[in-house]
Amino acid sequence: MGTSPIRRGWRWGLRGVALLLLAGIYLALERGGSAYLQRLAVLFLINLMLVVSLNLFTGFTGVFSLGHVGFMALGAYTSAILTLPIAMKKVNLPDLPAPLASTTLPFLPALILGGFTAAAVALLIGIPILRLSGHFVAVATLGFLIITRVVLINAEAFTRGTRTFTGVPPFTTLGWAALWALLNLYIAWRLKHSSLGLQVRAARDDPWGARGVGVSIARVRLIAFGISAFFTGIAGGLWAHFLTAFSPNAFYFSKTFEIIVMMIVGGMGSVTGSVLGTLLVMASTELLRNMEPGFAIGSFTFGPLYGLSQIGLAVLLILLITFRRQGLLGDQELRLEAIPERVERWLAQRKVVLESPRVRKADP
Amino acid sequence: MRPLHRLVALFLVFLLGAAACQPATPPPAATPTAPPAASPTPAGTLEERAPIRIGAPFNLTGGMASIDVPAANGARLAAEEINAAGGVLGRPIELLIRDTKTDPATAATVVTQLIEQDKVVAVIGFNDSDYVLAAGPICQRAGIPFITVGATSPRLPGQVGDMLFLTPFGDNVQAAVGAEFAFEKFGKTAYLLWDKGAEYTTVLAKYFKERFAELGGTIVLEDTYQSGDKDFSAQIAKVKALPQQPDFYYISALPDDVGTIVKQFRNAGITGPIVGGDGYDTPLLLEVAGPAAENVFFTTHSLLTADSPNEKVRKFVEAYKQKYGTEPEAVFAALGYDTVYVLAEAIRRAGSTDGQAIKQALESIRDFPAATGVINYSPQSHIPQKGVTVIEVKGGKFTLAVERVPQKVPAP
Amino acid sequence: MHAAGSLEFWIQQLINALGLGSQYALMAVGLAMVFAVMRLINFAHGTVMMASAYIGLLLLQAGMPFPLVALGAIAGAAALGVLMERIAYRPVRGASDVALLLNSFAVAVLLENLAIMLFSPRSRPFPMPALLTRVFHPGGNLFLPSIHLWAFGGALLALSGLALFVTRTRLGLAMRAAAENPVAAQLLGIEIGKVTVLAFAIGSAMAGLAVLFWTAHVGTINPGMGFEPVLKAFVACVIGGFGTIQGAVLGGYLLGALEIVLQGLLPSGIVGYRDAMVYGILILILLVRPGGILGYLEAERV
Repeated sequence: MGTSPIRRGWRWGLRGVALLLLAGIYLALERGGSAYLQRLAVLFLINLMLVVSLNLFTGFTGVFSLGHVGFMALGAYTSAILTLPIAMKKVNLPDLPAPLASTTLPFLPALILGGFTAAAVALLIGIPILRLSGHFVAVATLGFLIITRVVLINAEAFTRGTRTFTGVPPFTTLGWAALWALLNLYIAWRLKHSSLGLQVRAARDDPWGARGVGVSIARVRLIAFGISAFFTGIAGGLWAHFLTAFSPNAFYFSKTFEIIVMMIVGGMGSVTGSVLGTLLVMASTELLRNMEPGFAIGSFTFGPLYGLSQIGLAVLLILLITFRRQGLLGDQELRLEAIPERVERWLAQRKVVLESPRVRKADP
Repeated sequence: MRPLHRLVALFLVFLLGAAACQPATPPPAATPTAPPAASPTPAGTLEERAPIRIGAPFNLTGGMASIDVPAANGARLAAEEINAAGGVLGRPIELLIRDTKTDPATAATVVTQLIEQDKVVAVIGFNDSDYVLAAGPICQRAGIPFITVGATSPRLPGQVGDMLFLTPFGDNVQAAVGAEFAFEKFGKTAYLLWDKGAEYTTVLAKYFKERFAELGGTIVLEDTYQSGDKDFSAQIAKVKALPQQPDFYYISALPDDVGTIVKQFRNAGITGPIVGGDGYDTPLLLEVAGPAAENVFFTTHSLLTADSPNEKVRKFVEAYKQKYGTEPEAVFAALGYDTVYVLAEAIRRAGSTDGQAIKQALESIRDFPAATGVINYSPQSHIPQKGVTVIEVKGGKFTLAVERVPQKVPAP
Repeated sequence: MHAAGSLEFWIQQLINALGLGSQYALMAVGLAMVFAVMRLINFAHGTVMMASAYIGLLLLQAGMPFPLVALGAIAGAAALGVLMERIAYRPVRGASDVALLLNSFAVAVLLENLAIMLFSPRSRPFPMPALLTRVFHPGGNLFLPSIHLWAFGGALLALSGLALFVTRTRLGLAMRAAAENPVAAQLLGIEIGKVTVLAFAIGSAMAGLAVLFWTAHVGTINPGMGFEPVLKAFVACVIGGFGTIQGAVLGGYLLGALEIVLQGLLPSGIVGYRDAMVYGILILILLVRPGGILGYLEAERV
């Protein structure tokens, strides 16, 4: 990459501006006093983690996982059980086995153990499942999602079954969520540009060629699956300590659908795309949701139209798959210094892109 | 693998940093802001005066929709009636009905927005603990009273705090009445079936089992199904294979399923009494099961029919039919209706829209005649102490079997 | 469990398994047909069932006699299937399998929420004629709902009819050719577009037939009613072998039998894990025989 002093100066300048902007947004949310916006920001960061992690596996390997919300559930329940105060455990989880019943962990170790639980389960099921080819992995992970739900409902000693798991301390703050989301983004970015990332993408784009140069597809997939599950579990833990009350119903198809839409919108395999996708989907969902009780255009009044936000999201997805299958960014990244160039190029090439959408094989 | 090493090192550094900043981020402090008390008689016509805003989050789409929509409809009907009769404190009520998508995260966001942006003075809503427990603590911190329309877990007030009230009785109360009534009337042996995928059905079955065992009853066979199951033939075959049929069948099910279950049980030739909870209080039971619904008994809030002796009930059923073109779909419609009336009464008594004042006024409510029975609150009990009605299906109609209070209620 | 020993109990469960299996088989056949020609796991198949049920109810409330109601519901399902193909699937033909799957997921979400807006989410009773709801008591404690016979007969008839169609008619042969090798079929002058539309029409009509019997068994309909059936159909297809009609039927019966046996046999403490076991077996089948029991799709290992 050509790095003339002027370019480097530009780059650092832009980075500085971006950093200041982020810090400004953070402070405004933290101190600005709008609990509503702060909630949305924390949810955004947690969703972002879910999307980036899913992308870290699905986008990089081209293999679809429909079971990631199961890892989220594992992280949520594990960390919640670990941080629940002992007095609360006696009331809510009277049948909890001894070592768990008499200990309470601080937030951070509990969160990380939640992540490790998710990762361990991912490795366990990944070893057999990831040897299958793409289509069948999607089916098998769907099976995993349903099995996880059934187990959560039935393991009442640990989860209270369908009864709401409540009393979880509200540890998740904007700061915590931001810290983890940044770490997740950074690791995803580094992985994408590491030799492991290269191997994974080689395996995705040309499995025979990759095998030819000695890449073990199953192994690199497994590593990506494990890391992805770890961060998904962390996101689940943050989510649990943010909402403080939940049941197995929260970790099922609608959440799965939501995360996948965010990933597809941003672009499979793109880290910055995940940020854009999550932002766009959450913003439009929230906008449409606020229109549901009724709105007026000129002299016409509409509504109430409950369900509008789900319909809007579904239409968005259909349009996107029809007209821009690779999502907003494909597997390209948005680089700060390239913003002006990219906008120009995009405008110039739009026609070309529409005529020959880059089709990526999902199946090796 | 060098990048991996670097990652691990980086991760450790991050952990240290995170650990260092842990105590530095306390949860945001609660800032209860008391809205200025409204002057009792503002000038202008009712429409011109500032409305009293009440938040009404419900799951109008998604899995809970068939239960929450009737509740929201009942609440809307009550608000319109109250406004037609002159409003409260000389001001109209504005019910802000919001869809929370059967998603607890959306429920929490919506309630935050209702309190912060819409400045609601109270919140009513939800028929399931998941959403009450996600949204309740937010109301509690903001000092806003929250009355749940249909969540019946008796532990809710203890879990959320003193701002939470229930419109229905707790499930332990109706399960106890169900057990006592059936034990006396039908006998000592029971079959127990419940929906393992829902909280209401699980909790109801648990309390029934507890009270029935205490009375000296025996459960000869216990079985479950999953929410979404529509074929009960395997469960039925197990019942039919019993060497001796039990005295009655206690089946804890959601409104959408009761008709299907009763129909399939009867079709298989099981004729004994079927007993259930207020999930049975839906026209679907009669419409789907038809004559098969005879000899079904269930515990509920009151006899909600157009020919009820209770005038309040008759008025509600007629008004609901008029407005929505259908009979109340489930008992949640009546609970939603009563919730708005009880809240309006509290605001009237408080003479203000201040959260604490409304809460104290709610606690002072005694013998309030509602469509779902007489409501009593007290500072000690935010779950109304009301009688339980047992309904019998006879001659293709819901008829009153008995009204009673339980002799003993299982601890929440 | 005192019940498990009696012969009568097992005969009853066999009847139940055949009845439930027939229902699942009918649901799965339509899904398999669409998959065969388009490599699309059509998640909106369940939504077509839902829409078809509402069409039937509207016709019934308009005072139509039941045979017309049934025909109308089936024709409505076929029309909706064709419309869906035209609007949502044809523009994305050639996309990856997963993109297609997601598209069908979006269509399902869209239609379900539209139905909630149009009809309200409440369950509605669907009165069926006595012909479908009668129950026979052949002796002892046994009971045989006539809907089981209908579903069994329907599955048998649909299967043999489809088999004849696929092997004896030009269009059917074209469809099979398109399913096995779309490129070669196109070279031979088969219009893939036409064949796909046909597969959607027949597959969706099968959904209409399936939901008729299912509704007679359940008694109610609501906007979310398609979710469980499409999952069952999907599992049946995976077990039996995706893309073949015989596989879908076999899978339907196996799934029905598996559910009935687990529900009937497991003690009450662990019967709640029934679905976990069903999906566990599903994953095992995927690992051992990824193409399903009858599948010709040999999955490639990596």
